[in-house]
Amino acid sequence: MKKRAKKVQRNAQLKALRRPPNVTIHKLPTGVPGLDEILGGGISEFSFNIIAGTPGCGKTTMAQQVAFSNGTPKKPALYFTVLGEPVLKMLRYQQQFSFFDESKVGKAVRFVNLSELALDQSLNAVLEEIVRQVTTANAGVVVIDSFRTLAPKASSYVDAVEVQSFIHRLAQFLTSWEATAFLVGEYVEEEIRDNPLFTMVDGIFWLSQVSERNSVVRKLQVIKLRGQASVPGLHTMRIGAHGVEAFSRTLGLVATKTKPSNRKQMSTGIAELDKMLGGGIIEGDSVLVTGPSGTGKSALATQFIAEGLRRGEPGIRAIFEERPDGYTQRAGSFGLNLKAAEQKGMLETLYLRPLDLSVDETMQAILDAIKRVKAKRLVIDSLVGFEMALAPGYRADFRESLYRMIGALTGAGITIMSTVEVEDSFTSLQFSHYAISFLTDDIIRLRYVEIDGQLRKTLVVIKMRGGNHSKDIREYVITDKGVVVIHPRRTDYHGLSTGIPTRTGPRRAQEEETAPEPKATR
Amino acid sequence: MRDFAKSLIAVEEKAHRASRTRPLAGFYVCEKLRPPLATLMGNAGFHALMSRALLLAQGEVPWLKSVRVNADGSFEGLAELDRQLGPQEIAEGRIVLLAQLLGLLVAFIGEDLTMRLTLEIWPSLVFEHTDLSRRPK
Repeated sequence: MKKRAKKVQRNAQLKALRRPPNVTIHKLPTGVPGLDEILGGGISEFSFNIIAGTPGCGKTTMAQQVAFSNGTPKKPALYFTVLGEPVLKMLRYQQQFSFFDESKVGKAVRFVNLSELALDQSLNAVLEEIVRQVTTANAGVVVIDSFRTLAPKASSYVDAVEVQSFIHRLAQFLTSWEATAFLVGEYVEEEIRDNPLFTMVDGIFWLSQVSERNSVVRKLQVIKLRGQASVPGLHTMRIGAHGVEAFSRTLGLVATKTKPSNRKQMSTGIAELDKMLGGGIIEGDSVLVTGPSGTGKSALATQFIAEGLRRGEPGIRAIFEERPDGYTQRAGSFGLNLKAAEQKGMLETLYLRPLDLSVDETMQAILDAIKRVKAKRLVIDSLVGFEMALAPGYRADFRESLYRMIGALTGAGITIMSTVEVEDSFTSLQFSHYAISFLTDDIIRLRYVEIDGQLRKTLVVIKMRGGNHSKDIREYVITDKGVVVIHPRRTDYHGLSTGIPTRTGPRRAQEEETAPEPKATR
Repeated sequence: MRDFAKSLIAVEEKAHRASRTRPLAGFYVCEKLRPPLATLMGNAGFHALMSRALLLAQGEVPWLKSVRVNADGSFEGLAELDRQLGPQEIAEGRIVLLAQLLGLLVAFIGEDLTMRLTLEIWPSLVFEHTDLSRRPK
């Protein structure tokens, strides 16, 4: 009996835990691309937040994005400036960003200067003015920039009490007045522990920038966010034409679906290679094409994309080495018209070569392109170039981010072919510099082999997760059709995988080969 | 910029017909610009901007050297000048000063925003062929 009562009580408790929350917290868009996703949908309405960091991190820009994104003539955003950057300069610079809508200035976004009050009078007078302005305007969003100069670190106990009292009353008032507030200030990380302001606020947005070698890496961290779950960790951010842009370290891929059980096989565009792959690459696989320079990795990847286009499957080429024109031209020399596909919106080429890219924003660019064209096939050419395009500070995150992206994209049914350059050692068969084979379902290895006084090319399917594949080492050439697999498995050589095989069978009569490998015309 | 300044003064004169008898009241335009600009940039900011505009205007209109800008951005010394100067001289002075002030605003925050700030004070104002890109000399 006692046991049963306990069970009933426990069920009631679980039911209570499962029920929807009584209070719905509406979320406001921040106007910062990528940030809403990090925050789990936006910033909580009526929350009291701080945007902190060192100078030049983008605090003011971010605060203005929030103001311009939410301010309306009926519920304007009030932007209080205090002893910081002169307002004329701030307006001058912020106008350079696309979010700055001058038609909103004065109506939906109002700037109020509190510098003189802060200098000449007490914090009480400042609070009174804020109350007056917010009440009169019926503000929905309130920004105080810089709050640090308004409520500096107190030097005595009396000062500390006054500052705390000011912050407390300000928070009480703004919350009661249904305003979402942002305090902008230059703080250092050590202050989080000691400054009571950080205890009072609902949200802490920490912006930072570190320089590594010649590049600067900007990061955003949501240290605290009451009432909602945000994506933890340090997120890459950039200040560009649109203001601050944030790139979630999970790339918004956490909720992607898993691979379907009955997946079709996709042609590579090379009939013999398809046979070696047991009918083609399995849909949603990640394929790594690895080999030294000049073995035709890019050609193979181009054929893979072109074959998809032929079958009505849109594709993305993310290229980091060669120029897009070169790619398209080479494809043309193989008889593949990629330009037409690009014009139709079936193919998009991302040429990502700047040397200060962050891994997350690069991946975001790829993800955006995939969404735009509804891509089924993705080529990353090459992973080495991708890594080189990143700012040195981001390279440490490369494998981790790549792992997340490949996992999520293949989970969504997108088939990825990545190329990676490796050096042929002529002693062993190396797959890749990276320990990235865990990222890939299938590995195709291209290599040079010395046969009969010639440096020829062979390919072999090393691995194919979830499918049976040929174990043959096959010779191929690059012709005006692209990569073409020619000879069947050769049994008259031993040690082909080393690159310097030894003959096991009788030497055959040497064929006269005038042009054993006609190069594709450019 | 002169035309823009002139049209603002004309609107303000219309609203304050009495000012025709007291030409210095034409400085009303600057006075009307003062509160919203002081809200935006603080009294000190407005004072600095107006002082700069006055200095630039003094190059063209020497009698403006007798005018001073108070800490809150208001003018001092106008009452004495009212008795010494003719209406034409005063009209020229106020146009030049206002044109310099507007010119500074345009240089800092651009034409669109300057126009918007102005329209908030004079919502019924209609500008025709107003080129704000050229600053006064």
